Formats: sequence, structure tokens, C-alpha cells
Amino acid sequence: MPVAIVVSSGLSALLLAIALVLPSINSPTVPFGVRIPAQRADDPTVLRQTRIYRWRVLVSGIVAAVIGVVIYSVTGEALLLPLSVLVLVGLWYGCFFLANHEIRAAKAAGGWYEGLHQGIAVDTELRTDPPRFPWLWLAPALIVTVATVVIGVISYPSMPEILAVHYGAKGVPNRLAAKSVGTAFSLAFVQIGVTALLVGIAAAIFRSSRPDIDPARPVGSARWHRQYMSLGAKALLGLVAMIDVGMLGSSLLMWTGTVTSWAPLVVVLPILAAVVVAVVVLARNNRARDEGEEDTGLIHRDDDKYWRGGLFYINREDRALLVPRRFGLGWTLNFGNPRTAMLLAGVVALIGLLITVRFGG
Amino acid sequence: MILNIDLASEVPIYQQLRDRIVEAIAEGVLTEGSSLPATRALAADFGINFHTVNKAYDLLRQQGLIRLNRKTGAVVTATVADSPFRADWTARARTVLAEAVAKGLPAGEVLKTCQSVLDSFATTQPEDTPCLLPSS
Repeated sequence: MPVAIVVSSGLSALLLAIALVLPSINSPTVPFGVRIPAQRADDPTVLRQTRIYRWRVLVSGIVAAVIGVVIYSVTGEALLLPLSVLVLVGLWYGCFFLANHEIRAAKAAGGWYEGLHQGIAVDTELRTDPPRFPWLWLAPALIVTVATVVIGVISYPSMPEILAVHYGAKGVPNRLAAKSVGTAFSLAFVQIGVTALLVGIAAAIFRSSRPDIDPARPVGSARWHRQYMSLGAKALLGLVAMIDVGMLGSSLLMWTGTVTSWAPLVVVLPILAAVVVAVVVLARNNRARDEGEEDTGLIHRDDDKYWRGGLFYINREDRALLVPRRFGLGWTLNFGNPRTAMLLAGVVALIGLLITVRFGG
Repeated sequence: MILNIDLASEVPIYQQLRDRIVEAIAEGVLTEGSSLPATRALAADFGINFHTVNKAYDLLRQQGLIRLNRKTGAVVTATVADSPFRADWTARARTVLAEAVAKGLPAGEVLKTCQSVLDSFATTQPEDTPCLLPSS
């Protein structure tokens, strides 16, 4: 089954590209998740760790690829290939953590923050004149979902009495079910669930995220934050539209009883393409541009203690649900916020419900 | 409006907040009717206790610069300088100017600084520039 190979190698390539590019597109004052003063951004330790990190990531990529090839040639089971993607993620985190550890040690040993004025900057207009949510970008997802339902309702009488609800190797159906609203519209339910989930996340970016404004250049930083928020929401809404397109395509195959070897690609290709576009758009705008704003003399406060393992933000005092990621694209959850636990429980429940609806019948 | 606070400063945070808001009013960034964020929202954005923001807002209210309302939140109000304010302000200006003189800054430079600061405030009208300097 070539689809698992396409997906695994596509994902691995994307991960590898992100891993290699991240040090250049994250804020120069947070190399590898360590907050440092701007004047230390070109410190020899930071430059050396960036170089070493890139070599390690490249080696990890090769290791993961070899593991993938070995798994496939030994077991012949392409479905195990996503394992190599997980291996790559694990190795990548290791590379990140080693660099994070070294820079943290150098920062502590060199007393990089001694005698500096740490500050916090806030853009009050974000609250008194909040940016508008890009509702128009929700239209494609809604149109595709409604179209799926309408086409389904119209063609319901002419659908085969037995529908294929799951496909095995080479696109041959391995689970069949009698035609009913639950089976015929199962993917429409997925569309509705996924659309609601991603719209919820996009709305949370607007309503419950805390900007991280650089006190040294607050005006440019605040402006960038507004643009990035809007871009993040649009990227998510674009992605969900493409997921819905994949579900529509798959539903059409199911309703017409079409059996082809490329059936899984109908779902995979639109989603993979949308993920790549979203990642590229966010990556290109991931840091504030230097617009020659005068330095205020303040530097961002050292908040490393809230970032466990350099990646996970845990701050009980912080009421924000989402904060900008330090190493990576977009936002991350504040795991110290009780609402995060409730949210995660909700998402798990939703996924469980979808699986039940999809496979329970 | 950007509010910057300096965590290393000896000036308490509520005082810094109050000072930045007063400066924003003088600069014309905040005008009559401009609203300020809710106490809790501003505290959350700063990552500070909301009592600190409350204290800053309360100071501004006492000085008649903002109006606090349960429905509309904190809103900048128009205000007139009464005579107790003039006396109090003159006393504080006297201390600040005395620091300059004690440090040996020439009077010309002090006046020039005073004028350029006033000029940087967009709302200042030419006829009401009361830079009450002791003639020296």
C-alpha cells in the first residue's frame, strides 16, 4: 500500500524541514526555548549550539529513514511506517533539549541577565479594540460541509444498499455496513466535528491567547502579533476547509460504490497540501520584522521557569489559555490553567465520539 | 496604547501604570472617552495581580482622570485643574526642578528640557504652557 509510504515520507520531510529552519525563524532572543537578552543573541555558545543542532537533526533524519526502510523490508507492513515519524519526533526533541540545556547552562554561568532592566509590555488596544475574527474564511468549510450533506440527501435513494465504511490494503473495502443515515453520513459528522474543533481553536487564539510583546520594541511587536493572530486563524480555517474537501471526496467514493487503489489519496492529498501551505505561511511570518523602532531600554523578562523541558508552558498564575510557542510555530496551551485540562478532556471525548460513530455501527 | 513596566525599577508597578496612563493622556494617545481594559484583562496580560491594576485605576480615579463604571469599565474623563491640584503639582515640580539645580544643570538647559517635553505632548495648547519655573 503506497499511501502509508507517501504519508510517512511526506510528514517526515515536512518535520525535517521545520526542524532545520526553526532556529532561523524563531525569535533570536529565545534560541532553543531559552530566554536571553538581545545583546547575547550572537553569543558563541548560541551560534555553536545552532550548528550542532542542525547536524544532529540531519543525522536523526537519516536514522529515522533507515528505521523506516528496515521496518518495511523486514515486515512488509507499510502501516508501521508512521513509527519512523514518531522516532524522528523523539530524536528531534532530543536535539532540541541538548541545545536548550547547553544554552541554559551558559546563561546561568555567564549571568546574562545581571544589571539589565527586565520589563513587561502590554498593548491595551488588543482589549479595547480587539482584531476582528476572519469569519469570511469560515465560508469555504461551511460551503463544502453543506454541499456534502445536500449531495448525500439527494443521492441517498440511489446509493448502494451496502456501503463500504473502511478500506484495507489496495483500497479494498474490509468493512461493510447496511445503508443508514449513520453510515452514509458518517464522514459528514466528521466534517462537522472537525470544523467545530478547529473553529474553536481559531476563536481561542483571538479570545484566550496572551500576546508576548517585546518590551524593547513594543509597537512593532504588538502590530506583528495582531497580524500573526489573524494569519493563524486563517491558516486553521483554510486547513479545515481542505479536510472537509477530503471528506467530501471520500463520501462520493463511498456513495457511488467506487473501489480504487487511490481512494485514500482523496483524503490524504488535500490535507497534506493544506498542512504544507499553513506551515509555510506561518513560518514566513514567524517573527516580528525589524522596522527600525527605537529601543526602549527594557528587555523581556526571564520567564524560563514556566517552560518545563523548554517546551511545555505551565503557569498557574497565568489566566491565558494559549501563549505563543517559543520553539515552533503558532501557539501552545498553558498546562497550568484548569481550563486546559477541561479542554483536553473535551477533545478526547469528541474524538471518542467520532470513532464510535465511525466504527461502532 | 503600549504600557511598559520596568520590573527592576524602584517605582512600584501600580505607580508605573498610573504614570504611563497619565503620560498617554498628555500625549493625546488617550482622549476623553477612551476606554481602558478591564482590570482583570489588563492584569492577565501583564501577568500581575489584579489588585495592582485596581490600585493604579483607583489612583487615577481619585485624581479625576478616569471614571470607573461597572458597565463601561474605566473611561478617560475631561478634567480641570483646581487650586489644590495646582498647589500640589507646583510643590512636586519644585522638587524635580530642585534636583536639576542641585546637580548643577544650567537653567537654560532645564528650561529647554521642560519646553521640549511639553512640546512632545500633542494636547498642549500654546497659551496654557504653565511651566512654573522659579526665576533663577
